Amino acid sequence: MGWRRLSLLLFLPLFIHACSTSHVDDSIRMGLASSPMNLDPRYATDATSERINRLLYQRLVAFDEQSMPVPDIADWRRLSPRHYRFRLNPEAGRFSHQRKLDADDVIATYRYVLDAKNASPKRSGLALIESLTKVDELTIDFKLSRADPLFPAYLTLDILPADLIADDHDFAHQPVGSGPFSFHSWPVSGKLLLVRRSDKRLFEFVEVKNPTVRVLKLLRGEIDMLQNDISPELIGYLESQSAIEIAQRHGSNFTYIGFNLRDPHTGDPRVRLAIAHALDRQAIIEHVMHGAARQAEALLPPEHWAGAPSLMAYEYDPEKAARLLNDVGYTTADPLRLVYKTSSDPYRIRLATVIQSQLKAVGIEVELRSYDWGTFFGDIKGGNFQLYSLSWVGIRTPDIFRYVFGSDSLPPTGANRGRYVSHAVDRLLRQVESADTLERQADLYHRIQKQLHQDLPYLPLWYEAQVSASNPRVSGYRLMTDGNYDGLEQVRLRQPEETSDAQIAVAH
Amino acid sequence: MGAFLISRLLSALIVIIGVVCLVFMLIHLVPGDPVDVMLGESAIPADREALRSSLGLDRPITVQLTDFLKGVAVLDLGDSLHTRQPVSELLASHIPATLELALAALIVTLLTAIPLGILAAVNRGGMGDWGAMGFSMLGLSIPNFWLGPLLILCFSLWLGWTPVSGREDFSSLILPAVTLGTGFAAILARMVRSSLLEVLGEDYVRTARAKGLDETRVIWRHAMRNAWLPVITLLGLQLGALLGGAVVTEVVFDWPGIGSLMIESIQKRDYPVVQGCVLFISLAYVLVNTLTDILYGLIDPRIRSGGTA
Repeated sequence: MGWRRLSLLLFLPLFIHACSTSHVDDSIRMGLASSPMNLDPRYATDATSERINRLLYQRLVAFDEQSMPVPDIADWRRLSPRHYRFRLNPEAGRFSHQRKLDADDVIATYRYVLDAKNASPKRSGLALIESLTKVDELTIDFKLSRADPLFPAYLTLDILPADLIADDHDFAHQPVGSGPFSFHSWPVSGKLLLVRRSDKRLFEFVEVKNPTVRVLKLLRGEIDMLQNDISPELIGYLESQSAIEIAQRHGSNFTYIGFNLRDPHTGDPRVRLAIAHALDRQAIIEHVMHGAARQAEALLPPEHWAGAPSLMAYEYDPEKAARLLNDVGYTTADPLRLVYKTSSDPYRIRLATVIQSQLKAVGIEVELRSYDWGTFFGDIKGGNFQLYSLSWVGIRTPDIFRYVFGSDSLPPTGANRGRYVSHAVDRLLRQVESADTLERQADLYHRIQKQLHQDLPYLPLWYEAQVSASNPRVSGYRLMTDGNYDGLEQVRLRQPEETSDAQIAVAH
Repeated sequence: MGAFLISRLLSALIVIIGVVCLVFMLIHLVPGDPVDVMLGESAIPADREALRSSLGLDRPITVQLTDFLKGVAVLDLGDSLHTRQPVSELLASHIPATLELALAALIVTLLTAIPLGILAAVNRGGMGDWGAMGFSMLGLSIPNFWLGPLLILCFSLWLGWTPVSGREDFSSLILPAVTLGTGFAAILARMVRSSLLEVLGEDYVRTARAKGLDETRVIWRHAMRNAWLPVITLLGLQLGALLGGAVVTEVVFDWPGIGSLMIESIQKRDYPVVQGCVLFISLAYVLVNTLTDILYGLIDPRIRSGGTA
């Protein structure tokens, strides 16, 4: 080998080093498990798109800590049970193409979604709107087909500019909103750039699918922060890194085991009760999830205005579970055999394996089957399952109970995947519809949750905590219970002297 | 040579049409509905039907397949169901990354496998053989989903030489190429070794040595020339696999190639994109294998003329 070639090889690492990327700019980078699929809020349904769209657009209504609707850019008055008047805050935002948001934009956005020919997935949630009328530049009247005191909570649609809606603008790829961030560019599918309008700070949202690699990128400083979608082991590893700040708070995303009530085995309430007593949920939270969750007894968290904090937990009692199974007729010679379906996510599979092991201890033989999302979800919707596990993410309004447990909500018209039919719950759901105050609705929802807790169409598992990790370059990020990215409005870059010591620690 | 080429191209065309039709039927038969993914569960049935109709998914599957094949004939692969982007645009944005990674991994494979294979063969039973085959065994045993993060830990985090992931500049290509190339190199090195061992015992090699040629010349000019055939066969298959997308490596390194595009599209049941990816992958396989066959003919005239040894 000639000296020239040898020297080339020797200098290769230096060349590589010179080529490697480093942080010289002042943008803030956030690592995402998946890219947003659609930045047009009229069509976006995936969680990442919804979270990014919250940054790009504004909406009429927000929610407080108890998930009660509160004014965002508009206040409202209930003129009659079927007539609401919304008045935009005169300080409501300006779109990034410099036009001020007004009543025309609100009306154009809602009318677009309500128009059946546009096939927006958001239409069903707004079906009770009969008409919208502009009263003046800042005031809109909503007339409803039926009374619903919870109506303001449904008005979470992101507002788009009317002039661009009329022009059939491509919001999915060139979003124009009035939110705290504006669109900068989307150079490649896995990298989205937004600008914070208050200080022109550039934010990069970088897709890093593999959680381990996301953590490594954080440690190397290629991203500044990440949120959720990492396993408890990785959180533990990050906690051991002195330069990484971990934040955690209660979440409201609800994980459960769903039962098929038309199956001869899981359709038997004694079997469901046995499974409820066979699972040591607290042990799973403590030892598998490293405390990054809290035990759930109902779909809504206890702090929700319609939540049911008084529900008693099904205590871990394997003897009682075994006894119940014996009563049904299952024995060690002829045990109960069930198929448990889950997604192909490795963490979900691990949790399913722990559940399988706990059920085995009381004599239930569980076969685990994991599928890609399309196949898994297709099976669940089609009722082709005995047990499955899923989560509800970002639930704010208690009308979900009708959608999930109403006997008129079997797929494809709703999400009653377990084919649960309860006349008591149906009656209560009908009463909710005619209840004219939120207090009355809350009372009815408590009764619904009590009934569900007794019937066990779902076995509530836990509410997963929200977790974020950031390197020393950034500070001030506040986690939200539903995992949205609103905290990015406050996040800031630390001054170099604030971070230098910690950065050295990260680099080495 | 002309007749040989025509027969290869004809069979290639039949293979591509067969693969495309088969995958079209399979992807439509597996459970999961793109309308579910797009509208979510809460959509009104009428909206679902409207969307299904606007996407053309309410037509019989044979009609959809015929339309797709007609589109392919005029290079129109349709639009993505989710992003509404033309599939050809999506493919065009992912193919360069795939080609780049495939080429780099191929270079890593060749640079590693051929010297190792030769080293093992000429030192049969010696330290060189043990070392090279030990490396080969290690390369075969380490899965890419583990090797990738390990390399990142070492070269990105500890040494700081390369970025962790992404497709930013030349340095971001190194680790994915090494990860992908290691497994292939391990297989190829064993093939080079066994092919070379076979020909090293031949009379003409002994004659070359007897003539007093130096060992390097004997190996490269005489032995390797005949050892190439099986090596090229394997290399062709490997290149086809590389062009078909290395899903695991692409996911670990966030490499925006065809493999990750296809997996994402399968998960979203984005039929036109899946079809486009399959078409590209089958084209790549067929093209590489046809080139391999042609290369055979160039290396060994007996194949070209259809003769026997």
